[in-house]
Amino acid sequence: MPSQQYLIVFAQAHEDFRVPELLSIAELYGFPLNIENDIDPSRPFGVLDLEKEEHVRLLARRCILIKSVYELYAKGCTYEDVHRQNRASRHLWEKYIPNTSFKFVVNGYNHSISKARQRQVIEDFSYMGFMGTIDLLNPEVTLGCFEEYPNGHRTVRLEHKGASEFRDVFFGRLLEQGSARPLIQTFDVKKRQYFGNTSMEAEISLLMANQTLASPGKLIYDPFIGTGSMAYTTAHFGAFVFGSDIDGRQMRGKEAQPGIMRAAAQYGVRQRILDLCTFDITRNPWRCGGLFDAIITDPPYGVRAGAKRLGRKKERVADSPLPPQPRTDVQQYVPPTKPYELSALAADLVILARYLLKPGGRLVFFLPTVIDEYKELDLDSVLCDGMQVIANSLQDFGAWGRRLITIRKATSRSYPPPTFDSQPVPPALRDGDAEREGNPSSPIHVPAHRDFREKYFQGFKKPSDAGPS
Amino acid sequence: MVRLITHNLLACHAKGCTTNNFPLKLTDVKLALREADFNPDFLRGFLPRVEWDALIQASREIGDTSLPVERPEMLDDDLLRQLHHVLLEIHIDEGSMTCPNCGHVYPISNGIPNMLLAEHEIW
Repeated sequence: MPSQQYLIVFAQAHEDFRVPELLSIAELYGFPLNIENDIDPSRPFGVLDLEKEEHVRLLARRCILIKSVYELYAKGCTYEDVHRQNRASRHLWEKYIPNTSFKFVVNGYNHSISKARQRQVIEDFSYMGFMGTIDLLNPEVTLGCFEEYPNGHRTVRLEHKGASEFRDVFFGRLLEQGSARPLIQTFDVKKRQYFGNTSMEAEISLLMANQTLASPGKLIYDPFIGTGSMAYTTAHFGAFVFGSDIDGRQMRGKEAQPGIMRAAAQYGVRQRILDLCTFDITRNPWRCGGLFDAIITDPPYGVRAGAKRLGRKKERVADSPLPPQPRTDVQQYVPPTKPYELSALAADLVILARYLLKPGGRLVFFLPTVIDEYKELDLDSVLCDGMQVIANSLQDFGAWGRRLITIRKATSRSYPPPTFDSQPVPPALRDGDAEREGNPSSPIHVPAHRDFREKYFQGFKKPSDAGPS
Repeated sequence: MVRLITHNLLACHAKGCTTNNFPLKLTDVKLALREADFNPDFLRGFLPRVEWDALIQASREIGDTSLPVERPEMLDDDLLRQLHHVLLEIHIDEGSMTCPNCGHVYPISNGIPNMLLAEHEIW
């Protein structure tokens, strides 16, 4: 099948999330998308080969990170090259020659272009011979020329130097502005009826929702729903959402009408929030597994809110059973909880997802990590049989970051309910401990998310940074 | 909130309560009806997961008799609409769910059921 090349202009944010988002949306709509090495995450432009124009339009309407999409006429690192290719693409644009109003935009990336030079660039395209009127407000056709420079000059170029300085020049016809990107404003946390100090920012909530392939008729679960940030975005895309949390106060807020339902009503998705329940995922009431198309969650990792599970910090002595006292005031009773170490929680979450997801279903969640300590095999400590990582995108905050992990249930086997006895990965050995234990050759790698909370509050210092004591 | 689709998925999970722990008995319910998106594909996909007898018992407990007692072999449009209404549009805003086996009461307040267990019910 013949394909056409399309230029994707990305928003300059969350570079690591661009390719996973494109692949997810292509999978959602069921069209093939081959991204070999066409997209370099450090560049805001990508060129895709697609069978149908409709496909690139679907991407533009759903991908949060797409600013606009163009039918590509030419791409090259000199204008000579660009004009030669553009002449060869005449069959794509000749239908606009006779009587179509148009506009021409020239944009620079990593530099700005003076008005005079913009005019000159436009005039160099005069051989196209468009006879329609120029209409800057409502043109029928917008032609875009993007000059990408290697990086960071940020200089104003007065003259048309043309050759070799560009990394690439792209030229094409605007098809659509990305219409999903404005949703970031719609879901702005500050304008939300109900939110908390752990609410997830709108852009990331939307990116997460896209990773779940949310669409009408799907059933999606957030087991640490908190104040519901991802419930609104997944429900916006049409899915039914089920939420639970160990702490009912997060879901309720202070008014009688639960806070999550108030915010959901604001977004017009109230009826798609299927239900909210208070329980601990390690003691959950699910009657059976294989229920959900996706699980989306931001597990509490201990910085603003620590993860808790039912239990006591000090285990009770086994031979002193608790007297089964009837609960006198059911609503007021708060059972004791104990901390839930992150590496154990993450491993349990994946096992729970394997039980609760339908075959092919996705688990989408954030795993915080210490940038310097992260290794790819960190994820091995989280995975279990039948679960496969399909995307892993870093949001970098400097010393630490968080990784959005997308895992697919790549099996149609049913698994028994999880037992939630994952042990935390053994803590890091201090420098020198390995030698003392006579095992210098094979130090065990400890995942960077182990004891994340403690590392965070110690400012991610390495043991060697500590002064003499 | 607490729609019958949810009720159909929740079992008592207290320690040792593994038989006859489903469906939870609905009592003292305060109901509300709220419209929901009608999606036949969703309903057809979800139907294999439904415990039909439990759904019938629960819907009768709260006064809805629109569904047939026997699990239908074929879903025509009328039946899909009825199933949609019973599973997704009847909300239990207040009330309680009681385990038929151990008698644990799970209260529902402002539409949110409290499924947390007490300490002696875990160990």
